[in-house]
Amino acid sequence: MSLKTERRGIHVDQSELLCKKGCGYYGNPAWQGFCSKCWREEYQKARQKQIQDDWELAERLQREEEEAYASSQGAQAGPQSLTFSKFEEKKSNEKTRKVTTVKKFFTASTKSLPKKDIKEAKSPSPSLSRQYSLETDRVSKDFIEFLKTYQKAGHDVYKMSKIFLEAMYHKRESNIDEQSEFTQDFYQNTAEKLQMYWKVSPDKVEKVTDQIERFIMTRLYKHVFCPETTDDEKKDLTVQKRIRALHWVTPQMLCVPVNEDIAEVSDMVVKAITDIIEMDSKRIPRDKLACITRCSKHIFNAIKITKNEPASADDFLPTLIYIVLKANPPRLQSNIQYITRFCNPSRLMTGEDGYYFTNLCCAVAFIEKLDAQSLNLSEEEFSRYMSGQASPKKQDLENWPADTCPGVKQMHRNLDLLTQLSKRQEHIVNGAKKLEKDLIDWTDDVTKEVKDIVEKYPLNIKTASQALAALESENIEDDKLPPPLQPQVYAG
Amino acid sequence: MSGQRVDVKVVMLGKESVGKTSLVERYVHHRFLQGPYQNTIGAAFVAKTMYVEGRSLTLGIWDTAGSERYEAMSRIYYRGAKAAIVCYDLTDASSFERVKFWVNELQNFEEHCRIYICGTKSDLLENDKSLRQVDFHDVQDYAEEIKAHVCETSSKTGQSVDELFQKVAEDYVNFNSMQGPTEAKGVDLNQKQNSTLYSCCHH
Repeated sequence: MSLKTERRGIHVDQSELLCKKGCGYYGNPAWQGFCSKCWREEYQKARQKQIQDDWELAERLQREEEEAYASSQGAQAGPQSLTFSKFEEKKSNEKTRKVTTVKKFFTASTKSLPKKDIKEAKSPSPSLSRQYSLETDRVSKDFIEFLKTYQKAGHDVYKMSKIFLEAMYHKRESNIDEQSEFTQDFYQNTAEKLQMYWKVSPDKVEKVTDQIERFIMTRLYKHVFCPETTDDEKKDLTVQKRIRALHWVTPQMLCVPVNEDIAEVSDMVVKAITDIIEMDSKRIPRDKLACITRCSKHIFNAIKITKNEPASADDFLPTLIYIVLKANPPRLQSNIQYITRFCNPSRLMTGEDGYYFTNLCCAVAFIEKLDAQSLNLSEEEFSRYMSGQASPKKQDLENWPADTCPGVKQMHRNLDLLTQLSKRQEHIVNGAKKLEKDLIDWTDDVTKEVKDIVEKYPLNIKTASQALAALESENIEDDKLPPPLQPQVYAG
Repeated sequence: MSGQRVDVKVVMLGKESVGKTSLVERYVHHRFLQGPYQNTIGAAFVAKTMYVEGRSLTLGIWDTAGSERYEAMSRIYYRGAKAAIVCYDLTDASSFERVKFWVNELQNFEEHCRIYICGTKSDLLENDKSLRQVDFHDVQDYAEEIKAHVCETSSKTGQSVDELFQKVAEDYVNFNSMQGPTEAKGVDLNQKQNSTLYSCCHH
């Protein structure tokens, strides 16, 4: 309300600028009229309240659900519902203390803070609230239903899961590795307890662990997938950019034994790509793994159809790399990190899903490190492709399927022409440079030749004149010679 | 979904085309692959259940890409492996040189992984002994040095293949029954430590 007046007019009464709490400091519209100190207090209060509120709501929902189930079960199986309601009693006894404090808090705060203020306070706060979507509800129903078949052990598992979730909630601000470790410990402890204490067979333990994972991870997903405290998002972008930059990599370069000209094979490739992209939309680590496994199975089929023999790892890994490059799956790094941190460890380490997941990790590592050598290219070619100066794809222009976009075809044709043009230009420039060099060389040669001749046969004008002079002097001396004999007549 | 539980992770290492896949195929499906066939879509991962001392045990056998271009990533593959079968081609000396690379890696990064050195294609030597490029005694000396198990196999005839995997399983069971209880105790202690640590955080 005060906010509105402040917005309406520029001229505000002095009193309206002060903190709403009346502490004497100035308020700020960004803090809803509070001063920074009071705002922080109010905000904390509202947030705390909201958190408690959500928990309370969640718990109530859960209880209602359970009661509904227990009563519906009660009609069919007496003893089971009995144990369940007992368990409920115990549980609500445990919570009584907390619930009353929450209620106190709730009533107190509604008095002190008008409703609108709470709403206002809510909007700027980071959405820490646990949103119970339909899916989450369904998952918890399924979980409870599933655990009923395990009777007492089921109750125990449920209790442990709830305690774990609460503990995780208190840890929400802490380091993701700590949260991951805590989750892994929980899986291990639960599995051990089931096996040792409740004497459940290993196969069933695996099933229960899967269900636990489903239950807890649907709830935790929002908080622990790509958390802000890590640089997962940055890494996602790096990988995405990297894959984009590698768009030119052909199956031949990776030695992929898949021939996409066969319709059935290209169909498999498309399916594999769809599966790997779909991974991002799943919330439970196990579902994400299932996407990877499905993608891998399609790859195996594609190889099998092409090669007419089953694929080995030597065929599979390059093809998976190729698929990842083609698909550029969203938030790849985040997904891998999330699975590694929160998946049921036994599945991840040994089983078939784990095998394909490991291959995916390998493929991503390969893409990150990929260089000219790993594609059997020369450094020069690699850098040319990377910088976009050349594209290996245009060579296949003739073999392209008929339904290729004409614009793309035209573009590649133009690219071809441009490449030819640039080649010819280069040729001309080289010719011109050669001519220039030849000219310079020629001039140099002539100069050198002349110089050599001049050095060899120095043109010494002085000596020449001396010689002349000498000749002349000789002549002079000639002058000095006695005059030629003249015939003389002797009397005789 | 492929939800089969696996007890032991066994990783196959070796240069390209030394016959890792054939070895697995021979062991799991008791056949040698020549030419086209239809039954399986891939032999990169197989889970095989076997019985050792009255107890069932499932081996998850991981095939790996042997090409050198993936060498840098091989560490991702053998993480958590309990056994590694490092293969080399008896008729190719260079493939044995690569065995040393993997053994070295395994010793440095996966110390709990037992190593099995496996020569392949021994059937080729039956007709022509001169094809042999890797001496058995050299391999044995090397294996003794690194405490590995050695064998020479043929996926074509099936020679020593079943024995190799049986040994892998038996070693795992024997080793675990010895190490099992102490290991469990160690884990328990850690957990207690952790829990006290966490409760500290709450206060």
